[in-house]
Amino acid sequence: MTQALDLDLRSAPYGSPRATSAPTSRAGTSKFGTFAITFGIAFAILYTLCERQNWPLFTYHPAVDRLDIWRQPGIPEDGPPMFWYGWVVLSAAGALVVGWIAAIASGPWLQRATTFVCLLAALWPACFALAGVIDERASFNAEFLRSVWVSGIPAVIGATALSYFVSSRWVERAWTGWLLFMPIGGLVILGYSLNSYFLR
Amino acid sequence: MDMLTALISIQTFWKILLFIHFLLAVVLLGAVTLQAVAVSMPARQAVGNFISRFSPVPAASYATMIAVLYLPQALMGAWIYVKYRTYVRIPMEGFRHWWTVGSFEFKEHVVTMGLALLPAYWYFWQQPLSEEHAVIRKCVTIFLAFTVWYSFAVGHIANDFRGVGS
Repeated sequence: MTQALDLDLRSAPYGSPRATSAPTSRAGTSKFGTFAITFGIAFAILYTLCERQNWPLFTYHPAVDRLDIWRQPGIPEDGPPMFWYGWVVLSAAGALVVGWIAAIASGPWLQRATTFVCLLAALWPACFALAGVIDERASFNAEFLRSVWVSGIPAVIGATALSYFVSSRWVERAWTGWLLFMPIGGLVILGYSLNSYFLR
Repeated sequence: MDMLTALISIQTFWKILLFIHFLLAVVLLGAVTLQAVAVSMPARQAVGNFISRFSPVPAASYATMIAVLYLPQALMGAWIYVKYRTYVRIPMEGFRHWWTVGSFEFKEHVVTMGLALLPAYWYFWQQPLSEEHAVIRKCVTIFLAFTVWYSFAVGHIANDFRGVGS
């Protein structure tokens, strides 16, 4: 039934404004489509980063109804600070800028750049987690591996190599797929960070 | 706001707001579930069991409504979240309801990720539907349905702790 309806809806008169504005191919993806897809991918990465690093644009203190710029935990008398609004606004602002740049400068490089960033976003936490495992099990002192920047080196190398060597066809096909992988990956990281609540 | 609180108590005001949040959630849940079922199910069969004969909705017609509902629902949730943080979460922690606290923390992230996908979701459902984006359209729709279901369930549990009717 769904397929039948979709088929019926697709049969809009050729040349009509609705038909011409529709996304028909990657090359034909409208500027809004490019913006929307890039925004979704960028937001998921930026939000996960902002939450994990605790980078809010502002901090809200609901008990005293006060807004502070950046991260201000405040004194205990101010009540609990709320960072979530600050993370969302900062991530949204960043994703808007990235999406806008993508929309005005879309081209084959955009998909490859997206692939690089997404691979980096996936490899960096994976390398960091692996470094933690090595540090725990190694017989020598491997504490230097716990540095975020040290684990970033293999992540950058891996992302660069992979995004350079994968075919243009794969990059093109994977482009919209990142839209789903990045939020799910972000939720896995964010969910894991909450494990202290579930393991008490 | 002052005029409103002159008519009703501040506690009643927040309870009304929470109830509207719940009603909107029910409508959104219905719409997003029907759409997710419609994109997931094969074409209708004339014979067979109840599931086989189930007639899905024209999925595309729901997209704008879902996008329009999702945004104010998330904004309303963000507003009510202020009261949750001060009047619900602190006693929740006091009673050591860690699973509920953790699940609600995760709800923040789930809703936020869903919110960020709305522009792309709306774009994928624009007419005429692109065959090329059929898979991602289906996946994003199911993901949005998951975010709404998860948020509804966790929100309901938090409400049971301290909210309307608790």
